[in-house]
Amino acid sequence: RHPLATFFHLFFRVSAIVTYLLCDWFSNSFVACFVTILLLLSFDFWSVKNVTGRLLVGLRWWNQIDEDGKSHWVFEAKRVSTIAASTEAEARIFWLGLIICPVIWTMFFFSTLFSLKLKWLALVIAGISLQTANLYGYIHCKLGGQKAISRVTSRLFGTADVPKRQSRRISQDGTEEHGKTGTR
Amino acid sequence: MRDLKAVGKKFVHVMYPRKSSALLRDWDLWGPLMLCVSLALMLQGGSADSKDDGGPQFAEVFVIIWFGAVVITLNSKLLGGTISFFQSLCVLGYCVMPLTVAMLVCRLVLLAGAGTISFIIRLIVVGSMFGWSTLASTAFLADSQPPNRKALVVYPIFLFYFVISWMILTFTPQ
Repeated sequence: RHPLATFFHLFFRVSAIVTYLLCDWFSNSFVACFVTILLLLSFDFWSVKNVTGRLLVGLRWWNQIDEDGKSHWVFEAKRVSTIAASTEAEARIFWLGLIICPVIWTMFFFSTLFSLKLKWLALVIAGISLQTANLYGYIHCKLGGQKAISRVTSRLFGTADVPKRQSRRISQDGTEEHGKTGTR
Repeated sequence: MRDLKAVGKKFVHVMYPRKSSALLRDWDLWGPLMLCVSLALMLQGGSADSKDDGGPQFAEVFVIIWFGAVVITLNSKLLGGTISFFQSLCVLGYCVMPLTVAMLVCRLVLLAGAGTISFIIRLIVVGSMFGWSTLASTAFLADSQPPNRKALVVYPIFLFYFVISWMILTFTPQ
């Protein structure tokens, strides 16, 4: 149902990885490769976070700061009544793309570390953090409400003294909001 | 688009640092990323080692800026600041803008020659932009600290922008 979104979801991630592997063929300049891969990774991060997650699997997550300066991470999941075959395929592509790419970047991290090509390390670390951020956000959306994930998140964001509000508010367009974690 | 407009608004806010919460409330890291990349690109090719392909310096600038910003943020959080991690990164990143402008001016001045006069011009430009950056970021960040800790928070910011200004001032093209 969303062929364009599916295409772009995979396009930026895969081209970043391919460019990283083949950068010596394209150009001699380290800087050009670095900037290209960084741009591809940024486009990928933006499109997966803002567009493809919402369109393909009906999940979204963001951070908002309210009036008194406290920051909240909000994770939302759309409630769907029926799951069509095409949505299944799209969802599978989404999750496969989301999971496999950070794994590949982690392998690049170790290969860069052990082959001592340290100037690429900054790029690989940037790639890992951007892709893992999306992965973590969407997993949290998907599994929101389960105790284990909430406990880990509370520890990470230091909310030991703030009670976690688990409100299941169904809003107008059928989205279900859960897992509001308050941080300071 | 919404995100681009938000980034543009923050750039304007850095130019006129007034104590507004817009910079703090909707943080984003796109602006700092663009500034970091353009600054690193402009600082290229200043190495004395001619067989260098410019690689390490580019990655160095990147690492200095982001690692420095992370360390300052950790420092301010450990001192009991009320600002969140990404907000602080956002402010520090956006306040690199005056120094990026200084780098641009320096490169243009260096096109005309590298004598004493150009050095004095560059010194004045970099010095004033450094002051502007530090004041802008302090205006946003220091208020989230208790009053007796302000100097402890301002000092690393001062050092951070000082290092970047130093890199800009000592840049000499091949």
